[in-house]
Amino acid sequence: MYSFTRRRLIVVLLLTSVLLLTLDRSNSGLVGGVKDAFGVVFRPVERFANVVSRPLSNVWRGVLDYSDMRKENLALKDLLVKQEGAAIAATASVREAQELLALNGLPTLAGIDSVTAQVVGQSPSNFTQTFELNRGKSSGIRVGMTVTNGAGLVGKITGVTLERSVVMLATDPEYAMSVKVGACTRPNTTTTAVPQTTTTLVSDGSTSPVTNVLPTTTTTSTTSTTSTTTTVLQRATTTTIKGFTPFATTLPPVPGGGGVTQITVPETGVLLPRETGAMEGQGIDRLPVIRFIQTSSRLGELCEGVPVVTAGGSQSLAPADLVVGTVSRVVTRTGTSGPLLEVELAANLQSLNFVRVLLYQPATEIPQ
Amino acid sequence: MKRFFAIIESPLTRAFLVGFIVLSFQTTLFNTLRPFSVVMQVMLLCSAASGVAAGSESGAIAGFMFGFMYDMVLTSPFGLSALVFGFAGYMAGGVNTFAYSPRWWFKMLSIGISSAAAVLIYPAASLVVGVDGLLQARVLGVALTVGLFNAALALPAVFIMRWALVKSKKQMLWAE
Repeated sequence: MYSFTRRRLIVVLLLTSVLLLTLDRSNSGLVGGVKDAFGVVFRPVERFANVVSRPLSNVWRGVLDYSDMRKENLALKDLLVKQEGAAIAATASVREAQELLALNGLPTLAGIDSVTAQVVGQSPSNFTQTFELNRGKSSGIRVGMTVTNGAGLVGKITGVTLERSVVMLATDPEYAMSVKVGACTRPNTTTTAVPQTTTTLVSDGSTSPVTNVLPTTTTTSTTSTTSTTTTVLQRATTTTIKGFTPFATTLPPVPGGGGVTQITVPETGVLLPRETGAMEGQGIDRLPVIRFIQTSSRLGELCEGVPVVTAGGSQSLAPADLVVGTVSRVVTRTGTSGPLLEVELAANLQSLNFVRVLLYQPATEIPQ
Repeated sequence: MKRFFAIIESPLTRAFLVGFIVLSFQTTLFNTLRPFSVVMQVMLLCSAASGVAAGSESGAIAGFMFGFMYDMVLTSPFGLSALVFGFAGYMAGGVNTFAYSPRWWFKMLSIGISSAAAVLIYPAASLVVGVDGLLQARVLGVALTVGLFNAALALPAVFIMRWALVKSKKQMLWAE
């Protein structure tokens, strides 16, 4: 039978918990202050415990992870060889893209300052997925900033002290981010020899100075009735709009004309529309999913392997076009809920060491 | 001076110091040792061991304190671990009283069961405070692993917590 004091004890503990939870959920600065103060006292003790327990940890890792590590090492060496060539080409493309964006006054990732930090700890909980970094407020890091590594998005900062910060991984159930996903892509670019003065026959019989660009191959045929050179699309396209030709690139008129100019035109797959959705973490051992994507004729077909990048925007905590990963599975759902996309993150969250914190804050987050 | 030593020697201070040291190993050593990808919960072990060593009420208070300390290093809702660990301490003490004179294996059982129950309750409690997504099938495996591990380490943990909490019958954390 419960005595009065017993009941009182349980009630007091319950009420205290509720009070603490309320303070935490209402984003009270008190909780953060208490945690900071505790961290200052606890950190040296933790460091000492780390030194004492390191030999044991190393023995454990050595016994259990050695064979896996060897296999992984060999696989990584193979991967590295494959990636070296691709990385050089990719770097050149990225530089070109950044120059183009800068030329047009558009924001680029290269223009965002960042801080490199090392992962020094992991959450001891079985439920939250967080890492601790050895950089904090003193390095300019603030809550909400995006964390990446060489491969792509890792997570966001959820707690900062003077010299430490906590990163919530993108797979944590509390993580959400606005992302863009494209439709199925086709080969990247087509380099084609384009005659400078060509005309295309449009439906009403009038001519316009345009040249059609093909996805993969170009077939040139001459129509005897109009005596013009027409580039024919592989897919059947018809138009009834005056002056409009699908998949066409307009070339500026060149004085003097004549000759053939080599131009590289982005292939249509690259220019396909991209749909915005919300990516949400699903917890340990589960891939994040993208919701609120609507299948539409404008977006086209959704398929596995298409890249997922951050959407950006005035209220997003991450800048636009940051690599997140690729779609690994498309789950079709009935009704108006739209498809669900599982995302294979580009960054390997199991083996993080150095990460980059983007010192980026959207306009809405910057204190006036 | 006498009063100072009295405070230092009090069960609450001892429990706090034990918790502080155990927490430092929780975030370092036991964070690395992850059998079946499950983090061993030694703070939870100490909470449950407090209940077995010093009774339900002492277990609830000590568990609440250990959970509160654990909350300091977690990013989960503040106060949730305190609530759940307090429950674990109370439950372990309660289960232990089912036996008239509990044997060593019964203490292990009490701690194992209450630890597993706490692991199961944690995501449910998270859901109540608005943290979605933790309640998954994986939790069953985590609860089983944590329960077995805590049961295996129950006896040394009970010994330590008895030293911390039961100085004498009069100076227990919660005198009956």
